[in-house]
Amino acid sequence: MRKLIFLVSAFCCALLPTACGDRQRSAEREATANEVTIYVSTDRVFSEPILRAYEQKTGVKVNAVYDTEETKSTGLANKLLAEKNNPQADVFWSNEPVRTLVLESRGVLAPYKPPNADGIPATFKDPDGYWTGFSARIRVIVYNTNLVKASEAPRSIYDLTDPKWKGQIAIADPRFGSTSFHVAALYAELGDEKADEFFRKLKANGVKIVPGNSVVRDLVVRGEVKMGLTDTDDVNVALEDKQPVAMVVPDRDGMGAPLMPNMVSLIAGAPHAEAGKKLIDYLLSPEVERMLAQSEAVQIPLHAGTEGPKNIPPINSFKPMTLDYGKAASRVEDVVKRLQPILGL
Amino acid sequence: MVMKSGMSYFSVSHFSVLSLAVSLFILLCALPAIYMLGLSFTSADGHLSFENYRRLLVEARQRELLRTSALLGAGAAMLATLVGAPLGLLLARARFRGKRWWRLALVIPLVVPPYVLALAWTWLDITSELTYSLTGAIIVLGVSFYPLAMLATEAAARRVDAGLEEAALLVAAPRRVFAKITLPLVAPAVAAAALVIFTLAISEFGVPGLLRINVFTTEVFTAFAALYDFGAATALSVPLLLATIITALAARLIIGERMLTTRRSSRIGLSLTLGKWQTPMVALLLTIIALCVLLPIGVIAREAGGLRLIASSLSNSRAAVINSFALAGAGATLVVMLAALVGYARARMRARWSGLVDLALITLFAVPGTVVGIGLIGLWNHADWRGEIYASPLIIVIAYLARFAPVAALLLAASVRQIPVSFEEAAVVAGASWPRRFGRIVLPQMFTGLSAAWVVAFIFAIGEIGATALVAPPGESTLPVRVYTLIANTPASNLAALSLAQVIIVFLPLALFALFVRQSGGEK
Repeated sequence: MRKLIFLVSAFCCALLPTACGDRQRSAEREATANEVTIYVSTDRVFSEPILRAYEQKTGVKVNAVYDTEETKSTGLANKLLAEKNNPQADVFWSNEPVRTLVLESRGVLAPYKPPNADGIPATFKDPDGYWTGFSARIRVIVYNTNLVKASEAPRSIYDLTDPKWKGQIAIADPRFGSTSFHVAALYAELGDEKADEFFRKLKANGVKIVPGNSVVRDLVVRGEVKMGLTDTDDVNVALEDKQPVAMVVPDRDGMGAPLMPNMVSLIAGAPHAEAGKKLIDYLLSPEVERMLAQSEAVQIPLHAGTEGPKNIPPINSFKPMTLDYGKAASRVEDVVKRLQPILGL
Repeated sequence: MVMKSGMSYFSVSHFSVLSLAVSLFILLCALPAIYMLGLSFTSADGHLSFENYRRLLVEARQRELLRTSALLGAGAAMLATLVGAPLGLLLARARFRGKRWWRLALVIPLVVPPYVLALAWTWLDITSELTYSLTGAIIVLGVSFYPLAMLATEAAARRVDAGLEEAALLVAAPRRVFAKITLPLVAPAVAAAALVIFTLAISEFGVPGLLRINVFTTEVFTAFAALYDFGAATALSVPLLLATIITALAARLIIGERMLTTRRSSRIGLSLTLGKWQTPMVALLLTIIALCVLLPIGVIAREAGGLRLIASSLSNSRAAVINSFALAGAGATLVVMLAALVGYARARMRARWSGLVDLALITLFAVPGTVVGIGLIGLWNHADWRGEIYASPLIIVIAYLARFAPVAALLLAASVRQIPVSFEEAAVVAGASWPRRFGRIVLPQMFTGLSAAWVVAFIFAIGEIGATALVAPPGESTLPVRVYTLIANTPASNLAALSLAQVIIVFLPLALFALFVRQSGGEK
């Protein structure tokens, strides 16, 4: 027994220093310029074709890592954080602002102002160049057209607290994904007290909290609930599938609807920084925005003059919520802690 | 006679091999968890800090979540054992034909990912109160894991020395022998399987989330996905680990280390001749298969809508399927190899330390996959030879080792303990070296345990997502990672089709296994 312990310790001591030490980065890694690594949070079905198109166009090999649905695993933002001391990725393509802004605050990103960003309004760009927004989605209300008449359909998120819809509303878990962005935006817009009040009323109205936006959509399609909050691309999948649903862009006359752009950033210490910059340029081009608009992603282009997606109201027909993305994202942790007791999470 | 003076009869090669195995085990399987634990005691600027633990379980809300988790774990373990243990006994002892096919059919719920079973449950359209409830979650997880109880019970029931039962039959009725001899000898294995099921159930996150019950694992998840705080997330895993430790200690107290060394016999001593109970037994088996296998698969298939969708999902996922098979196959093989050696070391250990080692092994198994994943990144993602491994598919195999070697070692240690030391001692006297003894005596006696461990490790590995999603290099997606990256924005029918494809893919090698591998010891 003692011999065993001695030998085990000897082996461990011999191998442990190599497990703890770090060595100089090899300069040879920069040399392989014909590939680029991108971590993508935007749904794979939409992003993969874009990246394959880039591969075909430029001949550069794109190594992509896709994100799993928000509640199935911890996600790429954590992978990026964990890899910070030895980055494996060159570019991060996020589908909502919160993740990107958290990474910025942790020093994972590097500034880069691509030429194609000039066509994008300033409110969707970081002044220091750490991130640039493009191809946006809207947070909308989806309802079942068989169960809800168009005339009585909700027009504002406040309608969701109406007792006549008690127990018939679903939202995705507000701690994760795009819903976390939505609630952070609401808190930034309404202030803490009014936002707390809204969520208390929502809870009293029997809101069902489900794992994801696609689950919200599925429940509405099945008629298990009559309406819910979700993203435009989730609704569009059901519309394309000829399901009995319709979407409402809420609060056109009030605070407006939150516009949720994709965000693309360069990673600090990227192994193939130059190739990464070129990929970012490509992703911010009107061509890509058009592809995303025309796909089932139905994402709204931010470049002025680029053709918008079908099924979605054009960007000038509704009122977007005026948002400071940085401010909203910085409140997420706080908001999550506030919501836990209110919503009984 | 021999064990008292320790290992003095064994040679240097015995020690070198075992200590190498144990060191590898510690470095590959234990270090990620230890690293993360260290992280949880560190503040942002690198000093020792208890900040992450200060607020742990202080709020009533967290205690309530932990209670729900414990109830879910206990409920699932009980249901799984209630269904699985009798099935295992029947498969081991009753006489009826075509056992390997019954066993294959009954194992299917283990192959279906628990999340998919939960989806099938919601698609059954039962009343909302039952579907989205703790009871519903217990039913789903119980059905998902009963094959573990079944396989463990069958393996243990087959191992009981026929001579013991035959001797008892001379003086007592069969029923009494069964109750007083057979069942107590089988009980430790049943308890071990129940503990593993408890651990799996309390670590579940997707199933409770879908069924809208709040459990403690969600806290861990929130710390990762909403707060991006690794230290806090690891600290939040600790109550779950403690729950596992407490349950393990309780099981040990109740069942005890009542591990009699018995020879594995080539015949079954006390078999259950069913007589007039034959037809009801077949009816029972069919009912279980109908409820736990055919019903969920049928519901998923109905949602998938057609063979065409399934076939196209499969053809699009060809690369992922091949990757999954190769990685899970390699992973299961390495897991079993390492676990066999570590299990042997544990089994031949002096009793004073053995309890602690068992606890350490089950605790390692209870560490959430995401925590292991982040730990692996921290340890392997460096700009040297470790980075080369990190950037290759090998890191996925290491993830499988880290996650599943501990529990495999636990179960294989039980297998080794059934082999009398006197066998090895006799070989020593005959002049055999340790490798020869291990290869010619121990391993063949462990065969049932080894093959069961391989199959279970393969099923777990091929379904693993928590750690794999974090460490997988670009482009090398396994099937579950691919499924989960695709399901975010596809209609439910696509998800059903992909899941069914995954089940078929995993099921095929098991079917082949059943077809070609003959079970020794009273198969008919």
